[in-house]
Amino acid sequence: MGLTGRLAAYAAARPRPFAVAVPGGTRARLLVESELRRRAWIPASGPMESALLVVCGDPGPALAGAVDAVWAGLPAPRARVAVPPDATEADVRAALDRPIGFDDIAEDHAGEHTEHTEHTENTGHEHAGHTGHGGHEGHMMGAPGGVAMAERAPDRDGLKLDVLHVPLGPVLADWPAGLRVRVAMQGDVVQRAEAEVMGGAGGGRFWDAPWLAAAAGGRVARGEAERRRAASLLDGLARFLAVAGWRGQAERARRLRDGVLAGAPDEELRASFARFARRTGRSRTLRWMIRGLGAVDRAAVERYGLAGFVARHPGDAVTRLHARLAEIGESLALLGDRTALADGEGPRGPVGSAPSAATLAALPDLLAGAELSAARLIVADLDPDPDQIGAAHE
Amino acid sequence: MSETPVWAVVALPVALGLLAYAAAVLDAAFRVPLRAALDEPLRGAARMLVQQRRATLAADRLLTRAGVVALPAAALLAAVVVPMGTVAVAPMAAGVVWFNAMEVAVWGAVWLVGWGTNSAYALVGGYRFLAQGLAYELPHMFALITAALGAGSLDLARIAAAQHGLWFAVWMPVAFAVYLISALAIAFRGPLDHPVGDDIAGGAAVELSGPDRLVWTAGRYALLAAVAAAAVPLFLGGGAGPLLPAPAWSLVKTAAVLALLVWAGHRLPVVRADRFMGVAWTVLVPAALLQMLVVGIVVLD
Repeated sequence: MGLTGRLAAYAAARPRPFAVAVPGGTRARLLVESELRRRAWIPASGPMESALLVVCGDPGPALAGAVDAVWAGLPAPRARVAVPPDATEADVRAALDRPIGFDDIAEDHAGEHTEHTEHTENTGHEHAGHTGHGGHEGHMMGAPGGVAMAERAPDRDGLKLDVLHVPLGPVLADWPAGLRVRVAMQGDVVQRAEAEVMGGAGGGRFWDAPWLAAAAGGRVARGEAERRRAASLLDGLARFLAVAGWRGQAERARRLRDGVLAGAPDEELRASFARFARRTGRSRTLRWMIRGLGAVDRAAVERYGLAGFVARHPGDAVTRLHARLAEIGESLALLGDRTALADGEGPRGPVGSAPSAATLAALPDLLAGAELSAARLIVADLDPDPDQIGAAHE
Repeated sequence: MSETPVWAVVALPVALGLLAYAAAVLDAAFRVPLRAALDEPLRGAARMLVQQRRATLAADRLLTRAGVVALPAAALLAAVVVPMGTVAVAPMAAGVVWFNAMEVAVWGAVWLVGWGTNSAYALVGGYRFLAQGLAYELPHMFALITAALGAGSLDLARIAAAQHGLWFAVWMPVAFAVYLISALAIAFRGPLDHPVGDDIAGGAAVELSGPDRLVWTAGRYALLAAVAAAAVPLFLGGGAGPLLPAPAWSLVKTAAVLALLVWAGHRLPVVRADRFMGVAWTVLVPAALLQMLVVGIVVLD
């Protein structure tokens, strides 16, 4: 291998991992994220930047197909690791130590040269992942390169514009696990959207677990449930801040989340959360950027049957940002509560029903007419928990 | 026109490269501990160097590569008119105009890459950069012209020389602030990095892999270094300073501006063009014009 081999080995010490979230794999994802931080590995924003694809959980057949498509488009040298939903910290460490190499793409070289032309874009293929990698051979006759040309339709101002059919997700950074939103876009404005969750093949509802255990007759301390609620809200907040382009603050939210779950001293958690909440809540830039997004009023709550957090806090993304911070603070104050958990009100609402399904049903109307960046913020703000919908489906 | 010394021709790319690397290290240091950040860009470069090149179906390779290569080329060509101390590689009577023209070439570069890779997210990244361009370019030009007006010259070395005693940053602070904001927008660095935002998986650059991504990434840091370097003769007195020789002062001041720009990207959430546009036209443009008026009156006096 000589120089190339040595350079590849040097680079392999920081592979810019790209983690794929899978419904039911929340625990695995949290373990992976904290191990990546321990190793000082900066995660990739998209797969093309990455040499290491980390699948957190067991994808069902449809989601596995989407992951395969992304993997097919990943440039070598590369490696792919699967972290099962019940993995331990040691398993995660062992998985991430997997060598990154050129070998397993040998067959790709046989047919074509290094210039791959296998994944297509914008063609609205059903199983495309990430940016639509993996659409495979276009099949429109007579179209340039076998790719369907964009259709045209009048936009909101009545101008005739190209319409692109683009799947958002299911393999996308800082995006709910397995969620796929198929959008028809003109320019960067979403005209229509359809949302569904591509399920996992195992694992449970990590965020709802304490309430489910209490409902099943077990004795769960209130404080433990509040710990889970605070971590869940922080996890969603981290995704929201990352999508808002505030990486540093998103990372602080993740650290806090991991500290809460690991049982760091209560006083320390409250103090560092107070600092975090002050900076996040006071940011004028953030408020300026998210004002008016995802406006949900009481009528909409009724119409879609929304429950839990979103139903408690009708309003826009700014309202819910402050509400989220306030609720995390309240949960952190209750960490020491040893009384038995008696209600079923989980982080996303009553755990008996699956409130995230209602959130998902509300997405198409909320996303229509939004700019792509606004659409991503709206999804991150409403923060459906795909584990409630697709943790063990398929 | 005086001869350009040979050392300057060698020193410019070296200095630009070092500054770009330092910016990349600082950028990484905001995300991982310093020890890991020091070699992060080097390991990243090794990864991209050996990485396979992949292209999307029906990608326009010529346009994409032209865009990729144009980025570092524009950065270097912009930097040739910026004096290191008092010596520029290509001193030019209309240096400010040349510098701005090279910045505008970046529009082409980002759009070509966004369009050429035939990917929806990349295309959206391209749109976002064009919108951002409409927001920042006018205030940016007014800021440049204000400094030129204060010195009565479009030559960057003369502008630097005109600030003996009082930096333009001190008596035209609005122009300096507008310059820094628009410099971030030109180099599409945070908080104005929406065209390559994480929310669209890397935006215009989403499909770049291998050496293409390496050249693009290096070009972005070099561009940031170039716009930081230009702030020194424009607003910070050029190479003037006690004890150290002039080129050393230029380097120190550039590094300080560069650090400020990188820091801003980590301190603030992304500023989207659709909301920034309004502020750019209703606040930045009038503020820059008022600043120019004030400078014009002072200069006439």
